[in-house]
Parts: sequence; C-alpha cells; structure tokens
Amino acid sequence: MTQKPLLEGSELFKLIPQRAPIVMVDTFCDANDLGAETGLNITADNIFCQDGLLREPGIIEHIAQSAAAFAGYKPYTQGEEPKLGFIGEVKKCKIARLPRVGEQLRTKLSVVGEAAGVTLIAAEVFSADSSIATCQMKIFIKND
Amino acid sequence: MEKEVLIEKINTVLSEEFEVDAAEFTPDADIKETLQLDSLSLVDMVALIDAEFGVKIKGTELVQVKTFGALYDFVHERM
Repeated sequence: MTQKPLLEGSELFKLIPQRAPIVMVDTFCDANDLGAETGLNITADNIFCQDGLLREPGIIEHIAQSAAAFAGYKPYTQGEEPKLGFIGEVKKCKIARLPRVGEQLRTKLSVVGEAAGVTLIAAEVFSADSSIATCQMKIFIKND
Repeated sequence: MEKEVLIEKINTVLSEEFEVDAAEFTPDADIKETLQLDSLSLVDMVALIDAEFGVKIKGTELVQVKTFGALYDFVHERM
C-alpha cells in the first residue's frame, strides 16, 4: 500500500456484502471520484487457493469486490448505506500469472467511463511491483 | 484536426470496436441502433471516445449525441 488504509479488515463490511470465508479484499485506500486502491493478503485458507496458488476465479472475485468497495465508498462517506450494485460485465481480462499464498495483492481501480447509470472501471492487480492481472468491469448501481 | 480526417478516425475506431461496417455510419444514422448498443454497452462508446480523442461525453450531454453527425460535431468542437 502506498498510504495508510482508509478501511481495513472487518471495517470493509461497511462497503461490501460478502462475509467470511468469501471476503477477498482486506484493505481499501487512496479513494477519490476517479478511482481507489485495494489490497488482499493471500492466506493459505483462502477458498480460492489450490496447490498454493490463488486461482483465476479468486483474482476476478478480488477485482469484483474491489469495485464493489469503490462503489460503496462515496455513499459511506456521506453517511448513507451502500446501494445495491451489480457487476454488469467483465471484459478484457488478462491474467499474467497466479499469485502464491503469502503474496500481498494491490489493486488499482480507475473509472474509464460513465453512461446511462453504468460505470466502466479498469482494474490492474499488482504483487510487489509487477502487474499480474488486468480487466474491465461494468458496474450498475441501483438507485432508489 | 480537419473534420474529414476526424470523421474517418471516429468511424475507424467505432467500426473496429463494435464490429460494424463503417459504411453504415451516415450522419443521420442513430448511433445506438447502428452499433447495437444497449444500456450496458453505451458506456463502451463513451470510454472509447475519451480514450482515443480525449473528449468526455457526460451523461447529460449524451442525449444530444444521438446520431453520427451529432457525434462528429461534438468531438470536433471539443478537440
């Protein structure tokens, strides 16, 4: 992480609906209207790990929960409950390698575009300083 | 950039991204119908125009950009 997390551990339950054992984000920091940064320490008991490696669905789930946390952060800062959100599409997903147990993922999210209530987010997952995955996700937030 | 060159570039990137023959991109043609955009894929066009031409189309402006002619004018005026 480049700076102290804004939220970490169970504090993130204020932003995402997932609970153990499927929580795939453990830190959230550096957020603004255009993006945010999240993290995940890969532990041996992670349900997406097999043979010491975090598998592809785990990486995508980590990105999806990162995007959900980003979408929920602004309402949270305004004292509102996070709104119901949907991942509309996962596209251009490229995974260069599978990270090992013990690695610390750091994921940078940035808003690529917004239209008709849909936000297109680009995500890049790093371990140490090397990029291990990229993808784009569309998020639709249900307004009251 | 000359407007004719800009139009050709816009048509090329849209044709490649959405796999539609650029010959269908007439100034009066409806963008959403021609590119077969739904509410989820509309953001792809907005992101593409921003990435390729550095022009952001805000949600409130999107209602004005219904045809290819309107899109050409919008991008040309803001470059």
